[in-house]
Amino acid sequence: MIWVVLTFTFVIISIMPGDPVRAMYEQLIQQGYSPQQAESETALLHRFRPTGNIAEQYVEYIGSLLRFDLGQSMYTRVDVGDVLLDAAKWTVIPVLLGTILSFGLGVFIGVYAAIKRSSKLGDALTMSGSLLRGIPDFVIGLTLAAIFATLWPVLPRAGAVDIRYEPGFNLDYIFSLGYHAILPVATYTISAYGGFILAMKSSVVTVLGDDFILAAELRGMKRSIIFRYIARNAILPLFTVFALSIAAVFSGAIFIERIFNYPGLGMLLINSIGRRDITVMAGALLLITIAVIIANIVADMFYSVIDPRIRRAGERV
Amino acid sequence: MPLATRSATGGTSDTPGAAGVRIRGLTVVYKTPAGELPAVRDINLELPAGTVTGLVGESGSGKSTLALSLLNAVQPPGRIAAGQVEIDGIGDVVGLRGERLRKVRGGQVGYVFQAAQNSLNPLKTVGKQLLDLGRSHDVDNLRALVAEAKQLLGRMGLDGARVLDSYQHELSGGMRQRVGIMFALVLNAHLVVLDEPTTALDMITQANILEIIRDIHAERGLTTLVITHDIGVVAEVADRLAVMYGGQVVEQGPVRTVLGDPHHPYTRGLIRAIPRLTGGIDEAQALPGRPPNLMTLPTQGCVFRERCPLRMEVCETVDPPRVHLAGRLVACHAMTGPSDVTPTGHEGATR
Repeated sequence: MIWVVLTFTFVIISIMPGDPVRAMYEQLIQQGYSPQQAESETALLHRFRPTGNIAEQYVEYIGSLLRFDLGQSMYTRVDVGDVLLDAAKWTVIPVLLGTILSFGLGVFIGVYAAIKRSSKLGDALTMSGSLLRGIPDFVIGLTLAAIFATLWPVLPRAGAVDIRYEPGFNLDYIFSLGYHAILPVATYTISAYGGFILAMKSSVVTVLGDDFILAAELRGMKRSIIFRYIARNAILPLFTVFALSIAAVFSGAIFIERIFNYPGLGMLLINSIGRRDITVMAGALLLITIAVIIANIVADMFYSVIDPRIRRAGERV
Repeated sequence: MPLATRSATGGTSDTPGAAGVRIRGLTVVYKTPAGELPAVRDINLELPAGTVTGLVGESGSGKSTLALSLLNAVQPPGRIAAGQVEIDGIGDVVGLRGERLRKVRGGQVGYVFQAAQNSLNPLKTVGKQLLDLGRSHDVDNLRALVAEAKQLLGRMGLDGARVLDSYQHELSGGMRQRVGIMFALVLNAHLVVLDEPTTALDMITQANILEIIRDIHAERGLTTLVITHDIGVVAEVADRLAVMYGGQVVEQGPVRTVLGDPHHPYTRGLIRAIPRLTGGIDEAQALPGRPPNLMTLPTQGCVFRERCPLRMEVCETVDPPRVHLAGRLVACHAMTGPSDVTPTGHEGATR
């Protein structure tokens, strides 16, 4: 899977109009480099040589990636790996936090909406889920920014932390971090929450109709036990939704970080596109893809932890 | 807690006398777009203590609704609109609510679910669900409960320890059914309701399960209600038989009398529809027409008249009286007049 993406990135960069690698090579030659110098200089940046046939370039590119060597930024000359790692923490933590918050909230409200499904409140909750699901995340981000940073400026408009504070484990800094994270995390939470409500509601409604719930009731099981039966069975399909949500939120991060000027992967990607910083661009794309894939794998693994049908089947193989 | 001590001692020697059930004037309605329609209308039925009563009827005749009423567990949009269900030692369950009702369910009335194959939580082992059941009913000695469950499963031909350690998907349909029966009996309920206990099973397993039901019934002195659409099942296990049609009990009495000499035209039709071992398959006559559903059920007069060979004018307007005839009850106009009780003569007329 990751390999497919790698290849895809490589192909895109190779066929990009203007051939950035070639362009750089030629630019260096014009600046008076010898062809050998220009070639090695370009290779240092891109991890593949500007000349030679495409197969050789490909093998070399993959080879250096296998050594976790992503080349250097064409703009700042810093290792792409370092740039990405630095940016990743600003994306991964808020995105995970937002999705998990949203998951908890969505599951809770979804259960409630399912139990009260024939009442007005249940309808309203379901409706809110459908509406939120229909609104693009950047609209939610812009709306939140407009309300809480402009109309009623209680939260910071942009940035990840106040630069007045010394980075490190001091209260001011951590407080400032949290303060700046509120809006982006809230945006992630709200944009994913609609999906969770709808999925959880339909899942709970299905489980409520299952025979074993009525059977448990007829056996006089305690309400709390029946509730646990419902919750555990209903939450299973939600893990798939969770993985998909993480993927959606990750790609949404590109817009959201732009809105809040948050120095994460999305912001990095946008900036690198603006600067034609191909190496960083490729690296950021790659990292976002890998994150999404890992989220899916983790969700699948959760399944086997909670569902004995999958667990035992695995043991017997 | 007497329940806990009973369960803890496990054995069957100290089971108190069985509980009789008296259902009086029971009406259960379901809410539909066309208003509230009765699925069960004004039923009177007695389950004498220590007997097995078979309840037969076609799909949609209200059997399961009646059975759920015994636990005051009619599911929305249905509700019990009128009547009483009196169980010895409990009282009228229709009035029970909340915790008291919960304790009665499972603790005093065991219920084997229609489709008992699906009556288990797929994410928990049978044993863990057994412990959940024990905790729900404040059983102090869970170890004794487990031992009792193992013993019951053993009697039903299963390896108790292995079954308790299994998930639902690791058990076959027949095994799950027996687990369902175990759950209904393990708390020493005196009244056991079996809603189509053998419907999804093959003939061999069915026979096996019926035998177990019969045995345990006799041994524990239970009062048992077996709901089925299979008259063969009733003939095999029941002492008494009640026939339901369109939400009403049309005939009830001792099983041999009713099956040997059915009076109500519906009962006769049902029995004629069974293929015999001897004679051609053509001798089995299907009952013409279809059973009514909630929407087509007549609101007055006899519910069976549309398909009845003995139909009279009075059937259109007047509810049939319940006639006592030689130890049984029959709800039919044709049984009241002086020219009645000549079933053989009428039978000829229907052909």
